[in-house]
Amino acid sequence: MNLHTVGLNHDSAPVEIREKIAFSASSVPIALSSFVHSFPLSEAVILSTCNRVEIYATSSDNSLNKESLLDFISAFHGLPKEKFADHMYHYQDMDAVRHLFFVASSLNSGVLGETQIISQVKEAYITATTAETTGSILNQLFQRSLNVAKDVHTRTSIGKGNISVSTVAVDLAIKIFKNFSEKTIFIIGAGEMCELVLKHLVERGAKTAIVANRNYDKAKSLAEEYDGKAINYENLDDYLPQADVIISSTASPRHVIHTEHIRNAIKARRGNPMLLIDIAFPRDIDPEIAKIDNVYLYDINDLNKVANSNAEDRKKDIGNCVVIIDKEVEKFMAWFEELKIGPAIAQLRNHFHEIGEQELERLRPKLGEIAHEEWEHIVYSMQRTLNKILHKPAKVGKEKAKNGGGYQYVETIKHLFGIHHKDDSKK
Amino acid sequence: MINILSPIQYIFVVTIVLYLLDSIWEIGSLFRPGRFSKRLADYFILTGLSFHCAFLIVVSIRSGTLPISTLFESSTFYLSLIVLLSVILKFLYRLQSLTPFVMPIVTGFSIASVALVRNDLTLTYNLKTFWLYAHIIPIFLGYASFSVSFILSIMYLTQERQLKKKAFGPLFDSLPSLETLDALMWKTITLGFPLLTIGLVSGTVWAKTSNILGLLWYLDPKVLLGSLTWLVYAAILHLRLGASFHGTRVALVTIAGFIIVLLTFIGPFLMGHNHGYEKRSLTLEQEIAPETTGITKVKS
Repeated sequence: MNLHTVGLNHDSAPVEIREKIAFSASSVPIALSSFVHSFPLSEAVILSTCNRVEIYATSSDNSLNKESLLDFISAFHGLPKEKFADHMYHYQDMDAVRHLFFVASSLNSGVLGETQIISQVKEAYITATTAETTGSILNQLFQRSLNVAKDVHTRTSIGKGNISVSTVAVDLAIKIFKNFSEKTIFIIGAGEMCELVLKHLVERGAKTAIVANRNYDKAKSLAEEYDGKAINYENLDDYLPQADVIISSTASPRHVIHTEHIRNAIKARRGNPMLLIDIAFPRDIDPEIAKIDNVYLYDINDLNKVANSNAEDRKKDIGNCVVIIDKEVEKFMAWFEELKIGPAIAQLRNHFHEIGEQELERLRPKLGEIAHEEWEHIVYSMQRTLNKILHKPAKVGKEKAKNGGGYQYVETIKHLFGIHHKDDSKK
Repeated sequence: MINILSPIQYIFVVTIVLYLLDSIWEIGSLFRPGRFSKRLADYFILTGLSFHCAFLIVVSIRSGTLPISTLFESSTFYLSLIVLLSVILKFLYRLQSLTPFVMPIVTGFSIASVALVRNDLTLTYNLKTFWLYAHIIPIFLGYASFSVSFILSIMYLTQERQLKKKAFGPLFDSLPSLETLDALMWKTITLGFPLLTIGLVSGTVWAKTSNILGLLWYLDPKVLLGSLTWLVYAAILHLRLGASFHGTRVALVTIAGFIIVLLTFIGPFLMGHNHGYEKRSLTLEQEIAPETTGITKVKS
């Protein structure tokens, strides 16, 4: 009984290969049922995202290995094995468990600490349970992996602080304004980054947007998308006093917004704060503006600095994440080994008691007439002897299981006493 | 000093211990949220406040009037109102970061107030009049409200500075937005101002009708400073409503206003003017004094 993972990710394979190996959401259930069809005693979960494709599988017979899993992928996608085999990694047992815990906790993600992967792992697991291709082992493994991921995210700062420029801008905005429903967002230049920030602010409740662009049509199309108003670029200054948040990213080589404009605007706003975000390079907004009271100005450098320092903070916490994960891997492996050792010990016990019963049966006729009580004493004494003999090996077996290697230990004992794999032959 | 405390005052010592624990947990939860749980902090502050109220109730029942008979009692009464107001704001506005600022200050003042136990200034006049309640309760509530607005201004300036200097420390995440702080500053000032007005008006009526502060009651330093406080907060209201006065400047003036509140509260005592409080021994002497002076006059 082993656990296997084969897969590839953004590190191990170029996007062209990943595309070919990927399972679409609709093909995952089909692949799962075809997998358990090929390996009847197996459990399987397929995790397929834009960054990774992985199969987690276990089987109670020893039919699974790297080759058989690669063969399955090759057959399912109709792709010769040589084309992708070099990009695939394979982990077994403890390494497979550790890998999944790393993946779920997003330590293996392109963007460290992103939370999307948790829901993707959950999704993959639910799909597999719906397809009825999970059993006690993968259920336990995936449920634990989700708990580990949650633990890692709450107990470390791996997911804290935004690390993209647009979300950092929003982080700053929410420390100045309470709610955005009555705020006016003024977009100057209709670039992609502006739109991204606007989109985040709209998600936070912003309802009013003004867009100014040298190309009026462009401004109009962006404004329409967010129920905003497009204005003529020349009239820009007239609208400044209305703006609570100004996001600027024009291609202009000179400053677009000057100190005087903002000084007048803030006077007209009676001191109500303004947030100015300058994503342009060279800058659109005169940096002197930052000195005006109740005006908060951030340029692309400031935002990058915050994003980078957040990313650094996340990296610093990797060590703590690994500590949490390793502890959980250990716990899972103990459970996994115990799971394997439980039936083995039962088998050992049955074997000895069978021998005992046979001996008792042989003894009974030889004793002739004896009291029922006396016979019970004999039976009891035999059972006690056997239990005493078996106590130590069973205890050591369970201890070994917790530290790994329990399975091998029991196998040796079984071998020593000539116990055959009854379970295996039954299956 | 401990053996000076009466058994009832030990209830207040328990309060101080709980407030101290709360301060540690409140600040801890800002910097190390994993180690210091916010729930435990809530537990400390709520039990602390309960002990505090219990102490004040026992004191009131014993003296048969508001817990303001001595300077120690009135200080603790004032502190309890600050904690009460902060707890209400904390739960009403989910303002996790208010109590970490309030509680260390309150704890400090609570410990300092124990030193006042030895101060034996006692209110001299009849304490059971309607005017006492009409004067003291609004004034104390008003002062508590201004104290909270002072702490909110400190929070505002801290957050403002971080945003302006682009230096985002560990407090940045836990402090709310400037807009939230500004709105709460405004709310607490507009709550405190009418209360102070009512307190001052009823105090004036009381002073004129009962003559407890003498004929020149309006020259009592506490009355003068109280009026100055009123003027400062009236100015804040006026500036914020009328002129382009927002955010940082309001915060700064609020801090100035609070310093005057503090001066009003303890200043006259430090200067030796007692606003109706007298030394216990003195009151006894005063009761005898008129006769003795009468005798000396006769003799002379």
